[in-house]
Amino acid sequence: MRKTFVSLVVTAGMIPLAATSLPAQEATPPASPSSSSTPAGEIAAAAKTFLDTLDDTLRSQLVYDFNDREQRRRWSNFPSPIFERGGLRMGDLTQAQRAAAMTVLAAALSPEGYEKVLRIVEADQALKETGSGGLEGPGRGPGGRRGGPGGGLIFGHDNYYISFLGEPSASEPWMIQFGGHHLAINLTLAGERGTLAPSHTGAQPAIYEIEGKMVRPLGDETDKAFALFSSLDETQRQQALIGAKMHDLVLGPGRDGQTIAPEGIQGSALSDKQREMLLDLAGEWTGIQNEAHARTRMEEMKKNIVRTWFAWSGPTEKGGAAYFRIQGPTIIIEYAPQRMGGDATGHIHTIYRDPTNDYGVKWLKP
Amino acid sequence: MVEAVITLLRRLSLLSVLLALTPAGFAHRLDEYLQATLVAIEPDEIRLQINLTPGVAVAENVLAQIDRDQDGAISKNEVAAYAESLKRDFTIRLDERDLELQLTASKFPAPADLRTGRGIIQAEFFVVSGKLASGAHRLTLENRHLPEISVYLFNAARPESGTIQINRQKRNENQSSGEIEFALQPTRSA
Repeated sequence: MRKTFVSLVVTAGMIPLAATSLPAQEATPPASPSSSSTPAGEIAAAAKTFLDTLDDTLRSQLVYDFNDREQRRRWSNFPSPIFERGGLRMGDLTQAQRAAAMTVLAAALSPEGYEKVLRIVEADQALKETGSGGLEGPGRGPGGRRGGPGGGLIFGHDNYYISFLGEPSASEPWMIQFGGHHLAINLTLAGERGTLAPSHTGAQPAIYEIEGKMVRPLGDETDKAFALFSSLDETQRQQALIGAKMHDLVLGPGRDGQTIAPEGIQGSALSDKQREMLLDLAGEWTGIQNEAHARTRMEEMKKNIVRTWFAWSGPTEKGGAAYFRIQGPTIIIEYAPQRMGGDATGHIHTIYRDPTNDYGVKWLKP
Repeated sequence: MVEAVITLLRRLSLLSVLLALTPAGFAHRLDEYLQATLVAIEPDEIRLQINLTPGVAVAENVLAQIDRDQDGAISKNEVAAYAESLKRDFTIRLDERDLELQLTASKFPAPADLRTGRGIIQAEFFVVSGKLASGAHRLTLENRHLPEISVYLFNAARPESGTIQINRQKRNENQSSGEIEFALQPTRSA
């Protein structure tokens, strides 16, 4: 039987939060960083605490120039070694360093967002442990080099990477990246402003068991989407449906700068209740950010709700491998089961973008 | 020679590992060539932006189409030849009128990156359509490129011009063909 989620993540140096929806075992929240009272100050302080655990070599591997365009775009859904990430690999850090790294994330994200990240990472650990992955490739040497060409795929919570672009600051722009297989958190901070766009969440397996309890990293997204679609009447459904198989995300990793024309049913054609459901669904992505940032994103969405679209493709019965998209002036979300043989509901990719402000670009213009 | 053998063995090793994984264990696109076409419609021009991503298991097949002399490198001539073959496999019509494509940009990753399954070939074509008249239009596109190994995505880009209104998109089930109904609003005279 697999260990509890909490004990696993503690072992991995990832600090869990109080997990009301996870198997019962009290979780230890991360130590609060001593800092100013603003969220930006807290995040910066946590980041500086993490930096203080590193020697000069590791620090130089962690921190990129804020204008490093290549590193900014170096994120993917792929595991190592198919995709080589920059920054520090969690498996190459000491327990104390790992804990400090995760404290940065805990400070930057909401409790629910942090838990979602842990669940996604744990799903990858489950993928490794079920024997379908975890083949450690050759070529991992000092400094955290990953499995080299010709090596096996590398799964599991050791194989997530953290990097900063720019120096942590409560006032100047900088960026936190945390990612690995099925996860790319790209958080751009500029004073008290912050955006997670673009970021990728995914899960495989999309459901796994810990001590008899089922964990679904993207379960809320899935359930809320089906609930929203189910609420549509027949006329609304016909508007929402895209009549073609959606094989993948359209605006996934590598699609920076691209935009697509909106499709589906527009918010103006939804009832008040359905609009609330749409906002609640989008909140599964915007709410990964800390409360202040998430609130701003949600206010933007609310202002534009009548111009926000909801599109659907695939099965309409709950439990089916359906694709959906939410698209408004400040948000694009896609959810795409991966149809590559086997049960597509067990392998999900999603993307969150802001066509007006990916990477915080509108805050950074001179 | 020895290095070439070692390189080949490493590639086969990675490929065999990937193919040995059960679908439930690891299901990233291996044996498909994803062709994603974005149709950008503006008052003065129409462009196709095509991203082509071969999965690991089909990368050699795709590379064979590109690296014709099999020297392990993709030359400018080979890029041009492959773009030409792409052009031949696309049919684009505006209001029932066949249109010509002109390659305006392309980016081909190194063969080694294509073999990893994450290399993306990018091609952009200008659609020779002439200036659009105000009013409603219908653009249709058919992609017949390597259907045996391909999956397709077809989408209209969000127009940058406020005078273009995308009214409807239709696709066949596998998205190898699509249709965009759009309108060009007349600009108000000063």
